[in-house]
Amino acid sequence: MQRRNIDPQILAGIKEKMAQGLLPQWILTDPAIYELEQEKIFARTWQFLAHESELTEPGSYVTRWLVDDPILIVRTNQGEIKAYLNSCPHRGTQLCTADFGKKKTFICPYHGWSFNLNGELIGVVAGDKVYGEEMNKEEWGLRQVPRLDSYQGMIFANLDPNAPPLAEYLGDMKWYMDILLGRSDGGMEVRGIPQRWVVNTNWKLVLENFSGDPYHVQTTHRSTVELGISPKDPLYAGYGHQVVLQNGHGINVITASAPGKNDRPPYQGLPEAMWPMFERNLIREQAQVFSKTTVFVGSIYPTLSFNSPVHGSEGHLHNYLNFRLWRPLGPERVEIWSWFMIDKAAPESYKEDAYRGYISSFGPSGTLEQDDTEIWTRVAQASKGFMSRDKMLSYNNLLNYLMGFDRVQPDPSFPGPGLAYPTCYLDAIHRATHENWLKLICED
Amino acid sequence: MIAEVHFEITQFLHREAFLLDSRRFAEWLDLLADDIVYRMPLRATRENRDGSGIVEAMTFFEETKTSLTTRVNRLGTTSAWAEDPAPRTRHFVSNLIVEQMPDQQLVKARSNFLLKRSRAADLSAEELFGERMDVLRKEKDGWKLVTRTIYPDQTVISMMNLSMFL
Repeated sequence: MQRRNIDPQILAGIKEKMAQGLLPQWILTDPAIYELEQEKIFARTWQFLAHESELTEPGSYVTRWLVDDPILIVRTNQGEIKAYLNSCPHRGTQLCTADFGKKKTFICPYHGWSFNLNGELIGVVAGDKVYGEEMNKEEWGLRQVPRLDSYQGMIFANLDPNAPPLAEYLGDMKWYMDILLGRSDGGMEVRGIPQRWVVNTNWKLVLENFSGDPYHVQTTHRSTVELGISPKDPLYAGYGHQVVLQNGHGINVITASAPGKNDRPPYQGLPEAMWPMFERNLIREQAQVFSKTTVFVGSIYPTLSFNSPVHGSEGHLHNYLNFRLWRPLGPERVEIWSWFMIDKAAPESYKEDAYRGYISSFGPSGTLEQDDTEIWTRVAQASKGFMSRDKMLSYNNLLNYLMGFDRVQPDPSFPGPGLAYPTCYLDAIHRATHENWLKLICED
Repeated sequence: MIAEVHFEITQFLHREAFLLDSRRFAEWLDLLADDIVYRMPLRATRENRDGSGIVEAMTFFEETKTSLTTRVNRLGTTSAWAEDPAPRTRHFVSNLIVEQMPDQQLVKARSNFLLKRSRAADLSAEELFGERMDVLRKEKDGWKLVTRTIYPDQTVISMMNLSMFL
């Protein structure tokens, strides 16, 4: 890869500013930074591919992307999940262009080489007659993604064969994923397929918005306050804990009611009949946190975020789980993949209402997310000029991540793991995420 | 008779597009029946043998008159940032086929749509295109939209949001 070098002194300068709670604006959409991110972040960290409920039976497949690599994910006859580079090893043709389906054999449309669900080359047109008996078909199977693993039904891949195991990479995020994904018998299920759309912004900006930015809710989403859908108290999205986790991950555990007020329904308004099941599937501390929470929102670094809110649809409150993948398409472009998920064990009528709640609030048509996309675009558009891109920082092109800096201390009484700060109006996750970003792009 | 109905439906759809492009959303709501079912399922790329590429289980819009009214009311707030400053839209509706349904008060209308949108000083216009399957009902004060199903042709929507109506 042709490398646009960044002076090590410039990188040292970023570190110095971060230590002061500041972030140079030029790093947001700089093309040289993006090249480093492709190599040192996306190719070395665990990336989300699919949820197990999208691959229900042997032969089920979905096609996905790891940034620019097309990936084919299948369930084999043995029930195993496998992921391959979706490119024929013969001449590189994209093997499968459908989004999903069910098959036993994938046949390349170029020269007819065919592969089974285990990725083995099982058919070569004219075989021995043209390649001779010396062709070893075992050498020409589909190329597997180097690492594949899952947690609570979430399937991740890693292009780095030497990466730490997924469980270790997720660290204490697993504790919170258990609440989000493992609370119900049968786990969560994806409804339909993910919504996909494109926004002209940088992946770090959208990640950040979900990772640690409940502060934006009261202004970006003020229209819903004006309509009486969201509370008037400007602090409401700040009540609760912001939890800094390892490896750039973070979660906001938002109670949305002032301390001691507890005017929110327990267990995110999920049906009372499900509560004993939650208490059975979770440990006491997890159930305790879950019961008091209104919104969980956060990110699994670097490109997967989630949001589990309580949302109104025509007067009723419902909870759902929304995972979204931020697929970078370049320094100023992101393809968003957004999955609606719901407890498999929830009553069908509840699932339907929760789905309607999701459509009304999130996704490209959501009354909340419409405005997010406009703002994310504005940040990218205003961050590519000479002043904002100046690496010498001559134009005060430093962004403010000072909220709670040295002012807010972790709350040791919070039952969950991680550094839990007693407010979500805080830049603690952002600062930790940026430090992790810098560490990764500086690694050899 | 059918020529007359065809003309009325054409006028209805053109007037609807005019109201949307003119941001006269309250008047647009008046064109919708109180029991309207307004949906926009997802498009997927599928092998031909697997049938339609429409995924009805997931949508971009799954609306009732109440939820559409909420969306319209939102546009009237002071902080609907995606729509203030308002992008400019043009709804183009064509290839209309009108069919009378067994119930004489109902017609089916199939049309193609092309939406172009210009945001701020962006040089490239965003666009969205596909087909719409509508059912309209003749009521006391004229035709009303009873169902609208919008089928986009793109599997990945190239617009940053769907803050408009289709």
